[in-house]
Amino acid sequence: MIELKHLTKIYPSAAGETVALEDVSLEIPDGSVYGVIGLSGAGKSTLVRCINLLERPTSGQVLVDGKDLMTLKKGELNRVRRSIGMIFQGFNLLQQRTAEGNVLFPLELAKVPRAEAKKRAKELLELVGLGERARSYPSQLSGGQKQRVAIARALATEPKYLLCDEATSALDPATTESVLQLLEKINRELGVTIVVITHEMKVAERICTDVAVLDRSRVAEQGKVADVFAFPRSEIAKQLILPGLLRSLSGSGKKLRLVFRGERAAEPVISGLALRLGISVNILFADTRSIGGKAYGQMVIDLPQEEEKAVLVKRHLAEQNITFKEEDL
Amino acid sequence: MNALLLSRLFTQLGADGFLLAVWETVYMTLASSVLSYLIGLPLGILLTVTAREGLVPAVWLNKLLGVIVNILRSIPFIILMVALIPVSRAIVGTSIGNGAMIFMLVIAAAPYVARMVESSLKEVDAGVVEAARSMGAGTFRIIWKVYLPEAKPSLIVGAVISSVTILGYSAMAGTLAGGGLGALAVTQARPSNAQDVIWLCVALTVVIVQIIQELGMLLAKKTDKRIRSSEKIKKKESKGESS
Repeated sequence: MIELKHLTKIYPSAAGETVALEDVSLEIPDGSVYGVIGLSGAGKSTLVRCINLLERPTSGQVLVDGKDLMTLKKGELNRVRRSIGMIFQGFNLLQQRTAEGNVLFPLELAKVPRAEAKKRAKELLELVGLGERARSYPSQLSGGQKQRVAIARALATEPKYLLCDEATSALDPATTESVLQLLEKINRELGVTIVVITHEMKVAERICTDVAVLDRSRVAEQGKVADVFAFPRSEIAKQLILPGLLRSLSGSGKKLRLVFRGERAAEPVISGLALRLGISVNILFADTRSIGGKAYGQMVIDLPQEEEKAVLVKRHLAEQNITFKEEDL
Repeated sequence: MNALLLSRLFTQLGADGFLLAVWETVYMTLASSVLSYLIGLPLGILLTVTAREGLVPAVWLNKLLGVIVNILRSIPFIILMVALIPVSRAIVGTSIGNGAMIFMLVIAAAPYVARMVESSLKEVDAGVVEAARSMGAGTFRIIWKVYLPEAKPSLIVGAVISSVTILGYSAMAGTLAGGGLGALAVTQARPSNAQDVIWLCVALTVVIVQIIQELGMLLAKKTDKRIRSSEKIKKKESKGESS
């Protein structure tokens, strides 16, 4: 398990100090796909770099499997780093090495015998679907292929953890999807715990089990991704999860946000309101998305002005087992 | 007929005389380049890794080295050469001859080489270095397995430029006490007004520089794995335009 305890990172700068992280505490359970989301500049990249101490926190603790990395000597730290793979937005492949050469790199660092290393590189390139491109140089590969090579390279030393720093942000949607599928497969089949840093809510929804939302250097909220999605509590989470919503809704009046889990359809609920209660409500926003492989729908409706009717609507929804929350959007 | 057109010095020297001068120039250039890299390459690496954003930041050391390099580089070679005469006597045991010339060339060229190496290494993508760190590579291995191989094409281009510069210096050094084409042109041909010898020295120097340049660039291109695809695209594009 990776535990971050009260991490603070301060960069000295010309104009005083820049606080990149402030008292950040997270627990990343083994086997999870842990998302860290936030707007750019929120401190996500600094946070992920603190996990393998590419950036040294100003204060706080980084515990990996109970070991406090801050207390390790250089050599020990380098050994621990081999159990934490990392991939990047810019792929960061060695340009003068082939795909195979890139995968061999960490194995050379770990002093794995050549023959064994070559065999392992071949297996890994096949795992990421690039068995045929072993002899290609990065300049001959597409963005998605480069990221696959980077993933193979990150997995070469059989790490327990894989850190992904905006790994799909430079890729088009179709390629993003295929890379996410690969990450899912790695999590499922190899049991690798994955930390995903992203500013794209879609990516977090798509593969994460847990999520932490960063806002201006602090953790605004964290929890199971389905829960955070269903009821974002913090301003920033609402902004990230309901982006179109916030912009399109205006005017006063109470609003109700309904969340449908699984296969329940929204239609009968609203028509039920009309048929059974004779109350018609105004639908302001509705969409469906897939979170962790399950379908989720959300809808925002206007609550009737009259208190009585509003109570009836809420009771009806509760009877139908619809999760809802009054929002002040 | 020929004898009338050619100066006496030219006929005196003959093919052997010119070949000797060419050999001395090539030998001085090669020896000085190799020795300059023996000093300049580690110095360039040190300048890169001790920089503020380097692998092992050591700002005071970086500043100190930078100042030394800058001072040596700002002295025109011909002045440095004269100033180094006593130093050469103390270290090499003499201030004349090819040995002393090579010593002076190395003192002048090593700082230049260090800056060339530094600028090549700074071109290496910081992200790639970061990736290597994330994989648990130590400083020495990052230098050996990331910086140097990734910068190889650029380092080769730098070596070509440096050795051509050193060749130019060597001609100047020749005027003081060494041999080579520079010495031949300045100390022998000019006083005896043998214009044809001077021109041949110029021509031979140009040929040597061209050979170094072409071979070096060919090597740099061959080792560079980055440009292949973009070159292909360029070729495709130009084909598309012409058809």
